[in-house]
Amino acid sequence: MTPEKAVFAAILVCMGGAVMSLGAARRRILAGWLAFTAASVSAVLVGWAACQVLVVGPSADRWAMRMMPKLGITLGLHVDGLTAVFLALASILAMPTALYSIAYMPRHREYGVARYYPSFLLLLAATYGLVSATDMMWILCVLWQLMTLGGYLLIGFENRNAQSVRAANRYLLLSELACVATMGGAALLATGGGASKHEFDTISANLPALLTDSPVMAAAALALLCLGFGIKMGVWPFGQWWIPDAYVALPSPAAALAAAVTCKTGVYGVMRSLLWLVPPEGWPHYPVGRWGMVVATLGTITLFTGTMQALKQEQSKRLLAFHSIGQIGYMLLGIGACMAVLATPGPEAQALAAAAFVGALLHAVNHGLFKGLLFLNAGSMLYATDTQDLNKLGGLMRLMPLTGLTAIIASFSISGVPLFNGFVSKWAIYTGAVQAGGSVHYLPVCAVIAILTSALTLASFIKFFGTSFLSRSSDWVSGRAAGRGGLEVGPLMQIPQVFLAGMCLFVGLTPATTLGVLQTALRASDQGYGRLLAAAAPTAGGPLSGAGTPGISVYMPLAVAVVLGVMFIVGRRLSRLGAAPRRSAEPWLCGYVREAECHRYTAHNFYGEIKRYFRWLGGVPRRSSRGPAD
Amino acid sequence: MPRELPWMLLGSLLNAGMVLLLAPLGEGVVRKITARIQSRQGPPVLQPYFDLLKLLGKEDIESGQWPWAQRFAAYLALAASLTVAALLPMGFAAPLNRGADIIVLIYLLTLCGVCTLLAGLAAGSTYSLIGISREMMMMSLEPVLAIALLVGAVHARTFHLDAVLGGAVYAAGGVPWSGLIMLGVVTGCFQALVQRLPFDISEAETEIMEGPLMEYSGPKLALFKYASMCRMILYASLFVGLFIPWGSGLAFPLGWLVFWVKVGAVVLAVTLVAATHARYRVDQAVRYFAGLLLLAVAALVLATYGW
Repeated sequence: MTPEKAVFAAILVCMGGAVMSLGAARRRILAGWLAFTAASVSAVLVGWAACQVLVVGPSADRWAMRMMPKLGITLGLHVDGLTAVFLALASILAMPTALYSIAYMPRHREYGVARYYPSFLLLLAATYGLVSATDMMWILCVLWQLMTLGGYLLIGFENRNAQSVRAANRYLLLSELACVATMGGAALLATGGGASKHEFDTISANLPALLTDSPVMAAAALALLCLGFGIKMGVWPFGQWWIPDAYVALPSPAAALAAAVTCKTGVYGVMRSLLWLVPPEGWPHYPVGRWGMVVATLGTITLFTGTMQALKQEQSKRLLAFHSIGQIGYMLLGIGACMAVLATPGPEAQALAAAAFVGALLHAVNHGLFKGLLFLNAGSMLYATDTQDLNKLGGLMRLMPLTGLTAIIASFSISGVPLFNGFVSKWAIYTGAVQAGGSVHYLPVCAVIAILTSALTLASFIKFFGTSFLSRSSDWVSGRAAGRGGLEVGPLMQIPQVFLAGMCLFVGLTPATTLGVLQTALRASDQGYGRLLAAAAPTAGGPLSGAGTPGISVYMPLAVAVVLGVMFIVGRRLSRLGAAPRRSAEPWLCGYVREAECHRYTAHNFYGEIKRYFRWLGGVPRRSSRGPAD
Repeated sequence: MPRELPWMLLGSLLNAGMVLLLAPLGEGVVRKITARIQSRQGPPVLQPYFDLLKLLGKEDIESGQWPWAQRFAAYLALAASLTVAALLPMGFAAPLNRGADIIVLIYLLTLCGVCTLLAGLAAGSTYSLIGISREMMMMSLEPVLAIALLVGAVHARTFHLDAVLGGAVYAAGGVPWSGLIMLGVVTGCFQALVQRLPFDISEAETEIMEGPLMEYSGPKLALFKYASMCRMILYASLFVGLFIPWGSGLAFPLGWLVFWVKVGAVVLAVTLVAATHARYRVDQAVRYFAGLLLLAVAALVLATYGW
């Protein structure tokens, strides 16, 4: 079986699963297990395809099932290294989110699951297809419609909730707009004739001529493609229009899937069309530096606005949704930096470009892991406490320790704390962006904004984690926990969280392994600039050694971890030196006997100054009934 | 990697030991000088050592709902600071030179602050939370230091610790404008980095009673205090590495001594500023930092043009 057939089989399995779960929708648990089975089988198939490509290499002839040659349609699928990375991500996320759904969906008891599981599988199938389709016109359109349909049904899942319906409608509108833009771009690029004129390879072969003859047309076409994929992944300003409302409306596991995997199809599309599409013959006429500037600038704006708006949020899933926009910005910055540097010839510049690109690619994977986990955490909190409002939460750590532990791993990962996975990818992006400063003068400034934003991300997640899991139990939480020992969710919801947290730690502690896989993937993706990036990709040694670009950067997480661990033991020993007795007591409230609910310091009160300074940036939550902040 | 690890560990422990040994002394000197400037007698110079010893034996009262978080935060606070010490050249090459670069350093410095935040959150009293909210706002301004390191990195064309922390900021053709601007900027915000007056807004004893650490006593408080004292030495070392490289390259005992003399001088300078200024309000501090940040970005742009 070729990888392409495996992907096609996975899509068919998902479709079959969708029909079956629709049929079994009256029995919620059965439908859930059916959907899980379908998702698992498809994940195994797709994972196998990805492994096959990485180990053996992509299949030589591009397997195409000719469907309607008269209309110019071929159902072309091809799995190369770049596709394999995104397929692997989808396959890692599919099973946990599907498993989580089974235990989570009883929360929405008043709504039938007939809209949920089939749409979930549609979304998954569309994602598999979108990252492996080679036909940029009709097949892309069909898959895009499939994704839009799945997304629309999932966002509008609570169809008696006006807000959800509005969010779903807005998503529908923007997604269709994106589809039209992408198709328009492909139509402009398809200058050749014949049945396969919309095939990626044909377009790529004809592109050099187009770039020399009518560069404006080529630029417009690429811009349209980027617009379409940009809307999908949520680049500023489109992301702010649909992502926050949509992710709040999505049931949590579906939000995890959408944020972690489906929106990556946009990232994939941008990488494919800006870097892989142009063959070496077209490079002299391709303004790669200028495109890099556009993408890097958009990325920087996206990461700053998204994160700054996230800082203002007080609803758990809304906060995460804005961070999704912010994190997409990092990926765009990486891609943009890579392209901007590629305009400079020479092996050193290419090494930096490769570092930035690998950073962006790794960040796409990492974001999938930690954002998927965070949405599952938010789902567990929602499941246990029935509220998304961080102001009402507090002290959950004691009541749901496992969710709390995974949440802090995810929070540290997304904030880029060393030893966690988010750091590795950001570090690689900074390597490219800062060291390219000699030739591309604006990139270090972009990198500084990204570092600043990373601190803001940390601030935001300190608030997210701190006010919900640490701090003190609110009346709301105490009320929920009363009569029950704890609020911890069941094993079906715990296993996916633990699995994803483990993945975050694994990637964070042994980045060389993951970077090595990405390097192999680039080598197996031998087209356009991909070839160049594969040759210059940062070196990665064995699993225990560090990673880095020779002479420029070095990061050996295990060494840092060992030193940190030894120092931790030193600290612990030191604190036990005096054999001081330990006692627990109530906090001192400066004379007040008991803390009243209205005196709790809640999420709303955090970071008053920063929020005031950046009020003009918008994204302020609608509900603000509390008094002014500190 | 396994072959290099023992040496890394040894060097790290040496640096950490020096920092642990000297940090309370620095604090003592600071207190003494502050007192003299304010026409007081002041405690003996060795008082911080006794303070720490006393705290280590005192009762440890845990007021959080989940004390594990409090313990973890306390141990990690000191551990993170000491790990930073392993990333700094202190008279000889940075022990973790081959295991980390300046991006790791920038993020580890943030991790030190995170521990205080976790501590405040774990205790969960309203006053601690106000404190951590303020502290986080201060931390959001840490990029000034990051920019200083990046200016060095752009000049040195590498992220390696020793290359950047060897006066690379001045490595420009002609007058090192970017390095000089960064020297000014970092000097201007150094007080905030070490959380001394006039920028100790997050602790603000008179308003919110030590902020994040309000609920801590005994050994845990000792660890936090110790970490804070180390912070002073670490940032002074960082300042020396970035901006006062002269003499650190001498042969082992001499360069090492020169290094600690320079650190002592920086600590003294900090004290003089701290003792003569009153605390800023949060909004004043933020506005001040915004100005510095813009200046720093300008310096970074200059650095990319090779100035």
